[in-house]
Amino acid sequence: MKQTKRNSHSIFFYLIFLPALLLVLFLTTYPIGNVVYNSFFDYDFISGSREYIGLENYRSIIAEELFHRSFQNTLIFTVSASVLEVLLGVALAFLLHRSFRGKRVASLVIIFPMIISTMVISAVWQTFYHFEIGLFNHILRSVGLSPVGWLTDRSVALFSIVLVDIWQWTPFAYLIIQAGMSSIPAELYEAAEIDGAGSGQIAARITLPLLMGQIVLVLMLRTLDTFRLFDKVYALTGGGPANATQTLSFFIYREGFTFFNFGRSGAASVLTLVIVALLSLVYVRRLFREDA
Amino acid sequence: MYYRLRRLAGDTFFRLTLAATLAVILVPIYWMINTSLKNPREVIRSVPTFFPEAPTLANYANVFAQGIWTNVFNTVTVAVSATVISIILAFLASYALARFRFPFHLNRIFLIWVLVVRILPPIVLAVPLFSAFNMVGLINTRQGLILAFQIYTLPYAIWIIYGFVKALPLEFEEAATIDGASPGRILISIVAPLVRSGVLATSIFSLVLAWNEFLFALLFVRTPRLLTLPVVIARYIGEYSTQWGELMAVGLLASLPVLFFSNIVYRQLTQGFSLSLK
Repeated sequence: MKQTKRNSHSIFFYLIFLPALLLVLFLTTYPIGNVVYNSFFDYDFISGSREYIGLENYRSIIAEELFHRSFQNTLIFTVSASVLEVLLGVALAFLLHRSFRGKRVASLVIIFPMIISTMVISAVWQTFYHFEIGLFNHILRSVGLSPVGWLTDRSVALFSIVLVDIWQWTPFAYLIIQAGMSSIPAELYEAAEIDGAGSGQIAARITLPLLMGQIVLVLMLRTLDTFRLFDKVYALTGGGPANATQTLSFFIYREGFTFFNFGRSGAASVLTLVIVALLSLVYVRRLFREDA
Repeated sequence: MYYRLRRLAGDTFFRLTLAATLAVILVPIYWMINTSLKNPREVIRSVPTFFPEAPTLANYANVFAQGIWTNVFNTVTVAVSATVISIILAFLASYALARFRFPFHLNRIFLIWVLVVRILPPIVLAVPLFSAFNMVGLINTRQGLILAFQIYTLPYAIWIIYGFVKALPLEFEEAATIDGASPGRILISIVAPLVRSGVLATSIFSLVLAWNEFLFALLFVRTPRLLTLPVVIARYIGEYSTQWGELMAVGLLASLPVLFFSNIVYRQLTQGFSLSLK
Protein backbone atom coordinates (compact mmCIF):
# COMPACT_ATOMS: atom_id res chain seq x y z
CA MET A 1 0.00 0.00 0.00
CA LYS A 2 2.72 2.39 1.04
CA GLN A 3 4.76 1.36 -1.98
CA THR A 4 1.95 2.17 -4.43
CA LYS A 5 1.42 5.52 -2.74
CA ARG A 6 5.06 6.42 -3.16
CA ASN A 7 4.91 5.31 -6.79
CA SER A 8 1.88 7.44 -7.45
CA HIS A 9 3.71 10.35 -5.83
CA SER A 10 6.72 9.97 -8.08
CA ILE A 11 4.44 9.71 -11.09
CA PHE A 12 2.91 12.99 -9.98
CA PHE A 13 6.31 14.68 -9.84
CA TYR A 14 7.30 13.29 -13.23
CA LEU A 15 4.03 14.54 -14.68
CA ILE A 16 4.41 18.11 -13.44
CA PHE A 17 8.06 18.29 -14.49
CA LEU A 18 7.56 16.83 -17.95
CA PRO A 19 5.93 19.81 -19.77
CA ALA A 20 8.73 22.24 -18.90
CA LEU A 21 11.38 19.61 -19.63
CA LEU A 22 9.96 18.76 -23.04
CA LEU A 23 9.52 22.40 -23.98
CA VAL A 24 13.08 23.29 -23.01
CA LEU A 25 14.40 20.27 -24.91
CA PHE A 26 12.40 21.18 -28.00
CA LEU A 27 13.27 24.89 -27.93
CA THR A 28 16.97 24.67 -27.10
CA THR A 29 18.49 21.22 -27.24
CA TYR A 30 16.89 20.19 -30.51
CA PRO A 31 17.89 23.41 -32.37
CA ILE A 32 21.49 23.12 -31.24
CA GLY A 33 21.70 19.54 -32.42
CA ASN A 34 20.05 20.55 -35.67
CA VAL A 35 22.47 23.44 -36.20
CA VAL A 36 25.48 21.19 -35.69
CA TYR A 37 24.03 18.56 -38.05
CA ASN A 38 23.18 21.04 -40.81
CA SER A 39 26.58 22.67 -40.63
CA PHE A 40 28.01 19.63 -42.47
CA PHE A 41 25.61 19.98 -45.37
CA ASP A 42 25.17 22.19 -48.36
CA TYR A 43 21.56 22.90 -47.44
CA ASP A 44 19.40 25.36 -49.32
CA PHE A 45 16.15 25.80 -47.40
CA ILE A 46 14.13 27.20 -50.31
CA SER A 47 14.90 24.47 -52.84
CA GLY A 48 15.26 21.86 -50.11
CA SER A 49 18.43 20.43 -51.63
CA ARG A 50 20.73 18.92 -49.02
CA GLU A 51 24.11 17.41 -49.72
CA TYR A 52 26.79 16.25 -47.30
CA ILE A 53 29.96 18.25 -47.74
CA GLY A 54 31.88 17.59 -44.54
CA LEU A 55 33.77 20.59 -43.22
CA GLU A 56 33.44 22.63 -46.40
CA ASN A 57 31.11 25.24 -44.81
CA TYR A 58 33.56 25.80 -41.98
CA ARG A 59 36.47 26.09 -44.37
CA SER A 60 34.77 28.64 -46.59
CA ILE A 61 33.46 30.74 -43.69
CA ILE A 62 36.77 30.83 -41.85
CA ALA A 63 38.43 31.99 -45.07
CA GLU A 64 35.81 34.66 -45.70
CA GLU A 65 36.68 38.29 -45.17
CA LEU A 66 33.16 39.23 -44.08
CA PHE A 67 33.27 36.66 -41.31
CA HIS A 68 36.57 38.06 -40.04
CA ARG A 69 35.08 41.51 -40.14
CA SER A 70 31.98 40.35 -38.25
CA PHE A 71 34.10 38.68 -35.61
CA GLN A 72 36.31 41.73 -35.23
CA ASN A 73 33.35 44.11 -34.96
CA THR A 74 31.64 41.88 -32.42
CA LEU A 75 34.81 41.78 -30.35
CA ILE A 76 35.30 45.56 -30.48
CA PHE A 77 31.67 46.15 -29.61
CA THR A 78 31.64 43.60 -26.79
CA VAL A 79 34.81 44.79 -25.13
CA SER A 80 34.18 48.52 -25.40
CA ALA A 81 30.50 48.40 -24.45
CA SER A 82 30.77 46.01 -21.51
CA VAL A 83 33.93 47.54 -20.04
CA LEU A 84 32.59 51.09 -20.28
CA GLU A 85 29.22 50.06 -18.85
CA VAL A 86 30.85 48.42 -15.86
CA LEU A 87 33.23 51.34 -15.25
CA LEU A 88 30.39 53.84 -15.46
CA GLY A 89 28.19 51.63 -13.31
CA VAL A 90 30.87 51.45 -10.60
CA ALA A 91 31.44 55.20 -10.78
CA LEU A 92 27.72 55.91 -10.49
CA ALA A 93 27.34 53.48 -7.61
CA PHE A 94 30.11 55.29 -5.71
CA LEU A 95 28.80 58.75 -6.51
CA LEU A 96 25.20 57.99 -5.63
CA HIS A 97 25.96 55.86 -2.59
CA ARG A 98 24.29 57.93 0.08
CA SER A 99 20.75 58.44 1.21
CA PHE A 100 18.96 61.46 -0.13
CA ARG A 101 15.41 62.61 -0.61
CA GLY A 102 13.80 61.09 -3.69
CA LYS A 103 16.29 58.21 -3.93
CA ARG A 104 13.45 55.80 -4.67
CA VAL A 105 12.15 57.89 -7.57
CA ALA A 106 15.68 58.42 -8.90
CA SER A 107 16.29 54.65 -8.85
CA LEU A 108 13.10 54.08 -10.82
CA VAL A 109 14.11 56.64 -13.44
CA ILE A 110 17.55 55.03 -13.66
CA ILE A 111 16.08 51.69 -14.71
CA PHE A 112 13.90 53.22 -17.48
CA PRO A 113 16.47 52.62 -20.27
CA MET A 114 16.74 48.90 -19.59
CA ILE A 115 13.01 48.21 -19.60
CA ILE A 116 12.06 50.19 -22.70
CA SER A 117 12.10 48.19 -25.94
CA THR A 118 15.41 48.29 -27.82
CA MET A 119 13.48 49.23 -30.94
CA VAL A 120 12.01 52.31 -29.28
CA ILE A 121 15.46 53.28 -28.05
CA SER A 122 16.99 52.76 -31.49
CA ALA A 123 14.24 54.90 -33.02
CA VAL A 124 14.98 57.78 -30.66
CA TRP A 125 18.73 57.57 -31.22
CA GLN A 126 18.12 57.44 -34.93
CA THR A 127 16.63 60.92 -34.62
CA PHE A 128 19.68 62.02 -32.60
CA TYR A 129 22.15 60.60 -35.09
CA HIS A 130 20.57 61.79 -38.35
CA PHE A 131 23.18 63.59 -40.40
CA GLU A 132 21.11 66.56 -41.56
CA ILE A 133 18.30 67.01 -39.07
CA GLY A 134 19.57 65.09 -36.03
CA LEU A 135 19.98 66.66 -32.62
CA PHE A 136 23.68 65.80 -32.21
CA ASN A 137 24.84 67.40 -35.43
CA HIS A 138 22.67 70.42 -34.68
CA ILE A 139 24.53 70.82 -31.37
CA LEU A 140 27.91 70.29 -33.08
CA ARG A 141 27.09 72.88 -35.73
CA SER A 142 25.86 75.43 -33.22
CA VAL A 143 29.17 75.31 -31.33
CA GLY A 144 31.06 75.63 -34.60
CA LEU A 145 32.17 72.02 -35.08
CA SER A 146 31.68 70.06 -38.27
CA PRO A 147 28.91 67.44 -38.27
CA VAL A 148 29.71 63.77 -37.80
CA GLY A 149 28.32 60.89 -39.86
CA TRP A 150 27.21 59.05 -36.75
CA LEU A 151 25.72 56.13 -38.64
CA THR A 152 27.20 56.72 -42.07
CA ASP A 153 30.89 57.12 -41.33
CA ARG A 154 32.69 53.79 -41.37
CA SER A 155 35.00 54.63 -38.49
CA VAL A 156 32.22 56.02 -36.27
CA ALA A 157 29.13 53.85 -36.82
CA LEU A 158 30.14 50.97 -34.55
CA PHE A 159 30.89 53.35 -31.70
CA SER A 160 27.55 55.09 -32.18
CA ILE A 161 25.96 51.71 -31.49
CA VAL A 162 28.25 51.26 -28.48
CA LEU A 163 26.97 54.60 -27.17
CA VAL A 164 23.33 53.47 -27.43
CA ASP A 165 24.19 50.25 -25.61
CA ILE A 166 25.92 52.22 -22.87
CA TRP A 167 22.87 54.41 -22.46
CA GLN A 168 20.63 51.37 -22.26
CA TRP A 169 22.65 49.06 -20.01
CA THR A 170 24.81 51.15 -17.66
CA PRO A 171 21.78 51.28 -15.33
CA PHE A 172 21.92 47.49 -15.10
CA ALA A 173 25.58 47.55 -14.06
CA TYR A 174 24.80 50.32 -11.59
CA LEU A 175 21.91 48.36 -10.12
CA ILE A 176 23.87 45.20 -9.35
CA ILE A 177 26.94 47.01 -8.05
CA GLN A 178 24.84 49.30 -5.93
CA ALA A 179 23.04 46.29 -4.47
CA GLY A 180 26.41 44.76 -3.61
CA MET A 181 27.53 48.01 -2.02
CA SER A 182 24.56 48.34 0.24
CA SER A 183 25.15 44.81 1.54
CA ILE A 184 28.58 45.74 2.90
CA PRO A 185 28.19 46.03 6.69
CA ALA A 186 28.49 49.60 8.02
CA GLU A 187 30.79 48.47 10.86
CA LEU A 188 33.59 47.93 8.34
CA TYR A 189 33.44 51.58 7.31
CA GLU A 190 33.19 52.79 10.89
CA ALA A 191 36.23 50.75 11.90
CA ALA A 192 38.22 52.10 8.97
CA GLU A 193 37.24 55.67 9.82
CA ILE A 194 38.29 55.21 13.43
CA ASP A 195 41.64 53.97 12.17
CA GLY A 196 41.90 57.23 10.25
CA ALA A 197 41.44 55.96 6.69
CA GLY A 198 40.45 58.61 4.11
CA SER A 199 37.52 58.11 1.78
CA GLY A 200 39.82 57.25 -1.14
CA GLN A 201 41.59 54.63 0.94
CA ILE A 202 38.28 53.17 2.11
CA ALA A 203 37.08 52.89 -1.48
CA ALA A 204 40.28 51.24 -2.71
CA ARG A 205 40.94 48.96 0.25
CA ILE A 206 37.47 48.00 1.46
CA THR A 207 34.65 48.72 -0.97
CA LEU A 208 36.24 47.74 -4.28
CA PRO A 209 37.72 44.41 -3.12
CA LEU A 210 34.38 43.44 -1.56
CA LEU A 211 32.61 44.35 -4.79
CA MET A 212 34.87 42.26 -7.01
CA GLY A 213 32.35 39.38 -7.13
CA GLN A 214 29.57 41.67 -8.37
CA ILE A 215 31.86 43.43 -10.81
CA VAL A 216 32.94 40.16 -12.42
CA LEU A 217 29.32 39.02 -12.54
CA VAL A 218 28.11 42.18 -14.30
CA LEU A 219 31.04 42.07 -16.67
CA MET A 220 30.15 38.49 -17.54
CA LEU A 221 26.46 39.19 -18.04
CA ARG A 222 27.22 42.24 -20.17
CA THR A 223 29.89 40.45 -22.23
CA LEU A 224 27.58 37.58 -23.05
CA ASP A 225 24.73 39.93 -23.87
CA THR A 226 26.73 42.37 -26.01
CA PHE A 227 28.28 39.44 -27.85
CA ARG A 228 24.93 38.59 -29.45
CA LEU A 229 24.39 42.15 -30.72
CA PHE A 230 21.69 42.12 -33.39
CA ASP A 231 18.67 44.40 -32.73
CA LYS A 232 20.53 47.69 -32.70
CA VAL A 233 22.47 46.83 -35.84
CA TYR A 234 19.25 45.85 -37.57
CA ALA A 235 17.51 49.08 -36.60
CA LEU A 236 20.34 51.60 -36.84
CA THR A 237 22.69 50.60 -39.66
CA GLY A 238 21.59 47.31 -41.22
CA GLY A 239 25.22 46.18 -40.96
CA GLY A 240 26.55 49.09 -42.97
CA PRO A 241 28.20 51.37 -43.94
CA ALA A 242 30.37 48.98 -46.00
CA ASN A 243 29.93 46.19 -43.41
CA ALA A 244 31.44 48.37 -40.68
CA THR A 245 28.79 47.20 -38.19
CA GLN A 246 28.42 43.57 -39.28
CA THR A 247 28.38 41.30 -36.26
CA LEU A 248 28.40 37.54 -35.83
CA SER A 249 24.67 37.44 -35.08
CA PHE A 250 24.03 39.57 -38.13
CA PHE A 251 26.19 37.27 -40.23
CA ILE A 252 24.16 34.23 -39.12
CA TYR A 253 20.95 36.16 -39.74
CA ARG A 254 21.96 37.03 -43.30
CA GLU A 255 23.09 33.53 -44.16
CA GLY A 256 19.93 32.04 -42.66
CA PHE A 257 17.16 34.49 -43.45
CA THR A 258 18.39 36.42 -46.47
CA PHE A 259 20.14 33.64 -48.40
CA PHE A 260 18.36 30.74 -46.66
CA ASN A 261 21.64 28.85 -46.68
CA PHE A 262 21.06 26.82 -43.53
CA GLY A 263 24.32 24.92 -43.87
CA ARG A 264 26.48 28.01 -43.78
CA SER A 265 24.39 29.71 -41.12
CA GLY A 266 24.73 26.49 -39.12
CA ALA A 267 28.51 26.49 -39.41
CA ALA A 268 28.65 30.17 -38.42
CA SER A 269 26.37 29.38 -35.46
CA VAL A 270 28.61 26.55 -34.27
CA LEU A 271 31.68 28.79 -34.48
CA THR A 272 29.83 31.47 -32.51
CA LEU A 273 28.74 28.94 -29.88
CA VAL A 274 32.32 27.79 -29.45
CA ILE A 275 33.43 31.36 -28.79
CA VAL A 276 30.55 31.93 -26.35
CA ALA A 277 31.44 28.73 -24.53
CA LEU A 278 35.09 29.77 -24.21
CA LEU A 279 34.05 33.22 -22.99
CA SER A 280 31.74 31.90 -20.32
CA LEU A 281 34.34 29.35 -19.22
CA VAL A 282 36.80 32.12 -18.45
CA TYR A 283 34.26 33.91 -16.29
CA VAL A 284 32.89 30.83 -14.61
CA ARG A 285 36.39 29.82 -13.54
CA ARG A 286 37.01 33.30 -12.22
CA LEU A 287 33.72 33.31 -10.30
CA PHE A 288 34.42 29.90 -8.79
CA ARG A 289 37.91 30.89 -7.72
CA GLU A 290 36.25 33.83 -6.02
CA ASP A 291 34.15 31.37 -4.05
CA ALA A 292 37.02 29.17 -2.97
CA MET B 1 35.51 75.74 8.42
CA TYR B 2 37.63 73.59 6.12
CA TYR B 3 35.45 70.57 6.76
CA ARG B 4 32.27 72.53 6.11
CA LEU B 5 33.64 73.78 2.82
CA ARG B 6 34.65 70.29 1.85
CA ARG B 7 31.25 68.96 2.71
CA LEU B 8 29.57 71.70 0.73
CA ALA B 9 31.78 70.92 -2.26
CA GLY B 10 31.01 67.23 -1.87
CA ASP B 11 27.28 67.93 -1.69
CA THR B 12 27.34 70.12 -4.76
CA PHE B 13 29.31 67.54 -6.68
CA PHE B 14 26.86 64.84 -5.65
CA ARG B 15 23.85 66.90 -6.72
CA LEU B 16 25.43 67.72 -10.06
CA THR B 17 26.22 64.06 -10.74
CA LEU B 18 22.71 63.01 -9.84
CA ALA B 19 21.17 65.75 -11.98
CA ALA B 20 23.42 64.91 -14.93
CA THR B 21 22.62 61.20 -14.69
CA LEU B 22 18.89 61.78 -14.58
CA ALA B 23 19.14 64.27 -17.46
CA VAL B 24 21.04 61.81 -19.66
CA ILE B 25 18.34 59.23 -19.03
CA LEU B 26 15.36 61.53 -19.39
CA VAL B 27 16.40 63.59 -22.42
CA PRO B 28 15.87 60.76 -24.97
CA ILE B 29 12.49 59.99 -23.40
CA TYR B 30 11.58 63.66 -23.45
CA TRP B 31 12.75 63.85 -27.06
CA MET B 32 10.40 61.02 -27.97
CA ILE B 33 7.42 62.84 -26.43
CA ASN B 34 8.53 66.14 -27.94
CA THR B 35 8.86 64.71 -31.45
CA SER B 36 5.57 62.82 -31.24
CA LEU B 37 3.76 66.13 -30.69
CA LYS B 38 5.27 67.95 -33.67
CA ASN B 39 3.71 68.24 -37.10
CA PRO B 40 5.55 66.57 -40.02
CA ARG B 41 7.09 69.81 -41.27
CA GLU B 42 8.52 70.80 -37.92
CA VAL B 43 10.03 67.32 -37.50
CA ILE B 44 12.25 67.58 -40.57
CA ARG B 45 13.44 71.11 -39.94
CA SER B 46 17.24 71.27 -39.95
CA VAL B 47 17.22 73.17 -36.65
CA PRO B 48 15.42 70.84 -34.22
CA THR B 49 13.00 72.53 -31.83
CA PHE B 50 13.13 71.70 -28.15
CA PHE B 51 9.41 72.28 -27.71
CA PRO B 52 6.75 71.58 -30.31
CA GLU B 53 5.74 74.93 -31.79
CA ALA B 54 2.14 73.94 -32.40
CA PRO B 55 1.60 70.81 -30.32
CA THR B 56 -0.64 68.38 -32.16
CA LEU B 57 -2.03 64.92 -31.54
CA ALA B 58 -2.20 64.31 -35.30
CA ASN B 59 0.56 61.69 -35.16
CA TYR B 60 -1.38 59.67 -32.62
CA ALA B 61 -4.56 60.04 -34.66
CA ASN B 62 -2.69 58.84 -37.74
CA VAL B 63 -1.20 55.75 -36.16
CA PHE B 64 -4.57 54.79 -34.73
CA ALA B 65 -6.20 55.38 -38.09
CA GLN B 66 -3.62 53.05 -39.64
CA GLY B 67 -4.80 50.37 -37.26
CA ILE B 68 -2.10 50.30 -34.60
CA TRP B 69 -4.73 48.79 -32.29
CA THR B 70 -4.32 45.45 -34.02
CA ASN B 71 -0.62 45.48 -33.24
CA VAL B 72 -1.20 46.57 -29.65
CA PHE B 73 -3.67 43.73 -29.36
CA ASN B 74 -1.14 41.24 -30.80
CA THR B 75 1.58 42.39 -28.45
CA VAL B 76 -0.70 42.11 -25.43
CA THR B 77 -2.06 38.70 -26.46
CA VAL B 78 1.34 37.24 -27.18
CA ALA B 79 3.01 38.68 -24.08
CA VAL B 80 0.21 37.66 -21.73
CA SER B 81 -0.16 34.13 -23.14
CA ALA B 82 3.59 33.54 -23.18
CA THR B 83 3.78 34.69 -19.56
CA VAL B 84 0.83 32.59 -18.37
CA ILE B 85 2.27 29.46 -19.98
CA SER B 86 5.74 30.11 -18.62
CA ILE B 87 4.53 30.81 -15.11
CA ILE B 88 2.34 27.69 -14.93
CA LEU B 89 5.00 25.38 -16.37
CA ALA B 90 7.74 26.97 -14.25
CA PHE B 91 5.67 26.69 -11.08
CA LEU B 92 4.95 23.00 -11.67
CA ALA B 93 8.53 22.20 -12.67
CA SER B 94 10.02 24.20 -9.79
CA TYR B 95 7.95 22.31 -7.26
CA ALA B 96 9.02 18.98 -8.73
CA LEU B 97 12.67 20.07 -8.83
CA ALA B 98 12.61 21.38 -5.27
CA ARG B 99 10.81 18.44 -3.67
CA PHE B 100 11.67 15.37 -5.71
CA ARG B 101 14.98 13.79 -6.57
CA PHE B 102 14.95 12.74 -10.23
CA PRO B 103 17.43 10.07 -11.33
CA PHE B 104 20.74 10.80 -13.10
CA HIS B 105 21.19 14.18 -11.36
CA LEU B 106 18.47 15.49 -13.64
CA ASN B 107 17.60 18.25 -11.18
CA ARG B 108 21.03 19.86 -11.35
CA ILE B 109 21.59 19.21 -15.04
CA PHE B 110 18.27 20.77 -15.93
CA LEU B 111 18.78 23.86 -13.77
CA ILE B 112 22.26 24.42 -15.16
CA TRP B 113 21.07 23.87 -18.72
CA VAL B 114 18.34 26.44 -18.20
CA LEU B 115 21.02 28.92 -17.11
CA VAL B 116 23.16 28.08 -20.13
CA VAL B 117 20.21 28.85 -22.40
CA ARG B 118 20.36 32.42 -21.14
CA ILE B 119 23.82 32.91 -22.61
CA LEU B 120 23.12 31.46 -26.07
CA PRO B 121 22.75 34.01 -28.86
CA PRO B 122 19.07 33.54 -29.79
CA ILE B 123 19.76 33.87 -33.52
CA VAL B 124 21.50 30.48 -33.27
CA LEU B 125 18.21 28.91 -32.20
CA ALA B 126 16.13 30.92 -34.65
CA VAL B 127 17.27 29.25 -37.87
CA PRO B 128 16.51 25.62 -36.92
CA LEU B 129 13.33 26.59 -35.07
CA PHE B 130 12.17 28.43 -38.16
CA SER B 131 12.22 25.22 -40.21
CA ALA B 132 10.65 23.20 -37.37
CA PHE B 133 7.86 25.75 -36.91
CA ASN B 134 7.43 25.93 -40.66
CA MET B 135 6.82 22.18 -40.84
CA VAL B 136 3.96 22.31 -38.35
CA GLY B 137 2.46 25.56 -39.65
CA LEU B 138 3.44 27.80 -36.73
CA ILE B 139 5.19 30.44 -38.83
CA ASN B 140 3.15 33.60 -39.21
CA THR B 141 0.90 32.80 -36.25
CA ARG B 142 0.55 34.26 -32.77
CA GLN B 143 0.77 30.74 -31.32
CA GLY B 144 4.19 30.33 -32.91
CA LEU B 145 5.43 33.52 -31.28
CA ILE B 146 4.00 32.52 -27.91
CA LEU B 147 5.89 29.25 -28.17
CA ALA B 148 9.13 30.90 -29.31
CA PHE B 149 9.01 33.44 -26.48
CA GLN B 150 9.27 30.55 -24.01
CA ILE B 151 12.99 30.58 -24.86
CA TYR B 152 13.26 33.79 -22.86
CA THR B 153 10.47 33.65 -20.33
CA LEU B 154 10.53 29.99 -19.25
CA PRO B 155 14.18 29.78 -18.07
CA TYR B 156 13.81 33.05 -16.25
CA ALA B 157 10.59 31.99 -14.54
CA ILE B 158 12.01 28.60 -13.58
CA TRP B 159 15.05 30.08 -11.90
CA ILE B 160 13.18 32.71 -9.93
CA ILE B 161 10.21 30.54 -8.90
CA TYR B 162 12.53 27.64 -8.04
CA GLY B 163 14.25 30.01 -5.62
CA PHE B 164 10.94 30.88 -3.97
CA VAL B 165 9.78 27.27 -3.64
CA LYS B 166 13.15 26.10 -2.35
CA ALA B 167 13.03 28.76 0.37
CA LEU B 168 9.64 27.59 1.74
CA PRO B 169 9.65 25.77 5.08
CA LEU B 170 8.65 22.11 4.77
CA GLU B 171 6.40 22.02 7.85
CA PHE B 172 3.15 23.03 6.14
CA GLU B 173 3.51 20.40 3.46
CA GLU B 174 4.48 17.72 5.98
CA ALA B 175 1.49 18.52 8.15
CA ALA B 176 -0.79 18.32 5.12
CA THR B 177 0.72 14.99 4.08
CA ILE B 178 0.03 13.56 7.54
CA ASP B 179 -3.55 14.77 7.21
CA GLY B 180 -3.71 12.71 4.04
CA ALA B 181 -3.64 15.47 1.41
CA SER B 182 -2.51 14.39 -2.06
CA PRO B 183 0.53 16.10 -3.62
CA GLY B 184 -1.71 17.86 -6.13
CA ARG B 185 -3.88 19.19 -3.31
CA ILE B 186 -0.77 20.39 -1.43
CA LEU B 187 0.57 22.10 -4.51
CA ILE B 188 -2.64 24.02 -5.14
CA SER B 189 -3.87 24.88 -1.68
CA ILE B 190 -0.63 25.22 0.29
CA VAL B 191 2.37 25.96 -1.93
CA ALA B 192 0.65 28.19 -4.50
CA PRO B 193 -0.70 30.74 -1.99
CA LEU B 194 2.68 30.92 -0.24
CA VAL B 195 4.60 31.89 -3.39
CA ARG B 196 1.82 34.00 -4.92
CA SER B 197 3.34 37.47 -4.52
CA GLY B 198 6.73 36.36 -5.77
CA VAL B 199 5.16 34.65 -8.75
CA LEU B 200 3.16 37.77 -9.53
CA ALA B 201 6.30 39.92 -9.63
CA THR B 202 8.01 37.31 -11.79
CA SER B 203 5.15 37.39 -14.25
CA ILE B 204 5.35 41.17 -14.56
CA PHE B 205 9.02 40.86 -15.43
CA SER B 206 8.27 38.12 -17.93
CA LEU B 207 5.55 40.31 -19.46
CA VAL B 208 8.09 43.07 -20.02
CA LEU B 209 10.52 40.58 -21.62
CA ALA B 210 7.87 39.28 -23.99
CA TRP B 211 6.45 42.74 -24.70
CA ASN B 212 9.85 43.96 -25.91
CA GLU B 213 11.02 40.82 -27.71
CA PHE B 214 12.26 41.60 -31.20
CA LEU B 215 14.21 38.81 -32.89
CA PHE B 216 11.61 36.04 -33.11
CA ALA B 217 8.84 38.58 -33.62
CA LEU B 218 10.76 39.83 -36.65
CA LEU B 219 11.68 36.45 -38.13
CA PHE B 220 8.60 34.34 -37.44
CA VAL B 221 5.83 36.76 -38.43
CA ARG B 222 5.53 38.56 -41.76
CA THR B 223 1.87 39.54 -42.16
CA PRO B 224 1.43 43.20 -41.11
CA ARG B 225 -1.75 42.60 -39.11
CA LEU B 226 0.03 39.98 -36.97
CA LEU B 227 3.09 42.09 -36.12
CA THR B 228 3.98 43.11 -32.59
CA LEU B 229 4.88 46.69 -31.67
CA PRO B 230 8.71 46.37 -31.70
CA VAL B 231 8.57 45.06 -35.27
CA VAL B 232 6.14 47.79 -36.30
CA ILE B 233 8.68 50.29 -34.98
CA ALA B 234 11.53 48.59 -36.86
CA ARG B 235 9.50 48.76 -40.08
CA TYR B 236 8.83 52.44 -39.51
CA ILE B 237 12.55 53.07 -39.11
CA GLY B 238 13.26 51.21 -42.35
CA GLU B 239 10.42 52.27 -44.62
CA TYR B 240 9.39 55.82 -43.87
CA SER B 241 12.69 57.22 -42.80
CA THR B 242 11.44 60.63 -41.70
CA GLN B 243 7.93 59.88 -40.38
CA TRP B 244 9.44 60.53 -36.99
CA GLY B 245 6.33 62.03 -35.43
CA GLU B 246 4.35 58.84 -35.98
CA LEU B 247 7.33 56.68 -35.12
CA MET B 248 7.74 58.40 -31.77
CA ALA B 249 4.01 58.16 -31.11
CA VAL B 250 4.17 54.38 -31.58
CA GLY B 251 7.31 54.31 -29.47
CA LEU B 252 5.57 56.05 -26.62
CA LEU B 253 2.61 53.67 -26.89
CA ALA B 254 5.02 50.76 -26.66
CA SER B 255 6.84 52.25 -23.66
CA LEU B 256 4.04 53.47 -21.41
CA PRO B 257 2.90 50.03 -20.24
CA VAL B 258 6.42 48.94 -19.23
CA LEU B 259 7.17 52.26 -17.56
CA PHE B 260 3.93 51.84 -15.63
CA PHE B 261 5.29 48.62 -14.13
CA SER B 262 8.80 49.99 -13.46
CA ASN B 263 8.25 49.92 -9.70
CA ILE B 264 7.56 46.16 -9.67
CA VAL B 265 10.33 45.50 -12.18
CA TYR B 266 12.78 47.41 -10.02
CA ARG B 267 11.95 45.35 -6.96
CA GLN B 268 12.11 42.16 -9.01
CA LEU B 269 15.51 43.08 -10.43
CA THR B 270 17.08 43.81 -7.07
CA GLN B 271 15.56 40.68 -5.51
CA GLY B 272 16.34 38.51 -8.53
CA PHE B 273 19.98 39.41 -8.36
CA SER B 274 20.30 38.73 -4.68
CA LEU B 275 18.82 35.31 -5.44
CA SER B 276 21.10 34.58 -8.37
CA LEU B 277 24.13 35.79 -6.42
CA LYS B 278 23.62 33.26 -3.66
